[in-house]
Amino acid sequence: MVVLKSVSPPTDGVRHEQAETSAILDGKGLGCGTLYVAETRLSWFDGTGMGFSLEYPTIGLHAISRDLGTYPQEHLYVMVNAKLNDENDAEMRENAEDGEDEDASDDDGVAGDDEEGAISEIRFVPSDKAALEPMFSAMCECQALHPDPDDEDSENDFEGEEYDVEEAEAEHGRGGDIPSFYTCEEGLSSLNSEGEATLSRLEGMLARSVAQQFHMAGVRTDNGGDFEDGMDVEGGSAEAGQFEDADADVDHCTSWSPVPSPNLKE
Amino acid sequence: MDQSDGLAYDQAEAANSMRERTIVENSLVVLLQGLHGQVTTVDLRDESTARGRVVNVDAYMNVRLADVLFRDRRGRVSRLEDLFITGRNVRYVHIPDNLDITDTIEKQLGKISRMRNYAGDRGSKKKKTNK
Repeated sequence: MVVLKSVSPPTDGVRHEQAETSAILDGKGLGCGTLYVAETRLSWFDGTGMGFSLEYPTIGLHAISRDLGTYPQEHLYVMVNAKLNDENDAEMRENAEDGEDEDASDDDGVAGDDEEGAISEIRFVPSDKAALEPMFSAMCECQALHPDPDDEDSENDFEGEEYDVEEAEAEHGRGGDIPSFYTCEEGLSSLNSEGEATLSRLEGMLARSVAQQFHMAGVRTDNGGDFEDGMDVEGGSAEAGQFEDADADVDHCTSWSPVPSPNLKE
Repeated sequence: MDQSDGLAYDQAEAANSMRERTIVENSLVVLLQGLHGQVTTVDLRDESTARGRVVNVDAYMNVRLADVLFRDRRGRVSRLEDLFITGRNVRYVHIPDNLDITDTIEKQLGKISRMRNYAGDRGSKKKKTNK
């Protein structure tokens, strides 16, 4: 539920406050009061302290309307993806359903099309029309602070901030969390000691298989040809010789039997 | 925002903008950002539509349009001077036919990486020395 009664106006994070602002909810005028555009919620309170608050995630859109043909006053239009009533406020709900021509409380059979068929429309009419732009801008800023938590596409893939090599090294020591792939020199300098050991072992295995023309787990090594992972391995090179003492930890590779590596000079 | 809050605020802003940049660089929102200044139509989830000039699209696909012709789900039409559509409510953004999509994406990504270099607090990754 998005409607609260008798809640006090927000005190911090208020980006814009506009007094002498009327509120019309689904066609029903609520009187004149003050609009508070705060970072946590959008609220409006009349002279007696009664009012309502909206959570930004429920706001579908907001706009400046100067089209007097549609509505006789310039105003800030807000569309809310919810029916603005609560269980305790039967009067409000009743009035919303009885609403006039311009309201959008049409739930009959429409709900089947969308997840949430019910919407409410609110118009905030300030006495000072020049205030519409700062009101609108403040709402844009606050809305941007509330990205959709249900949005799977943009949230799941980016667990942290964008990865910056230098920043990660400064903060976490060499390596840090590496959510991306590297090729060539960039990657070599980002390895921690464990990574280096792993790289050594893998290169050693590849080098040995190249030298002895073994087939390893689907990798063809007939002529030391291209490896799709971009690692450069030359059979019999000095690089391979670094790993003479690498452990032959090859439980997973049943076709390969440990033999002493060729005695290569570095 | 008083002076003592300044540093914390800037860091939070920087973290946010980095996060947004990551999202933009890794999704097709970058294409929508290439639409700035163009007139197009946005279809909303509730089947209303808005046609206007793209002022801004952010990483969360919040779309800001200007000089908008808005047709609500009942077909009633009205003009809106400035419109902000929450990303969650966007169903489609129409890409103008005359737009070269690949070119637009490449240009946008180029702009973003140039901005990152100008920021000065990030060196180019290519400057790392070899092992």
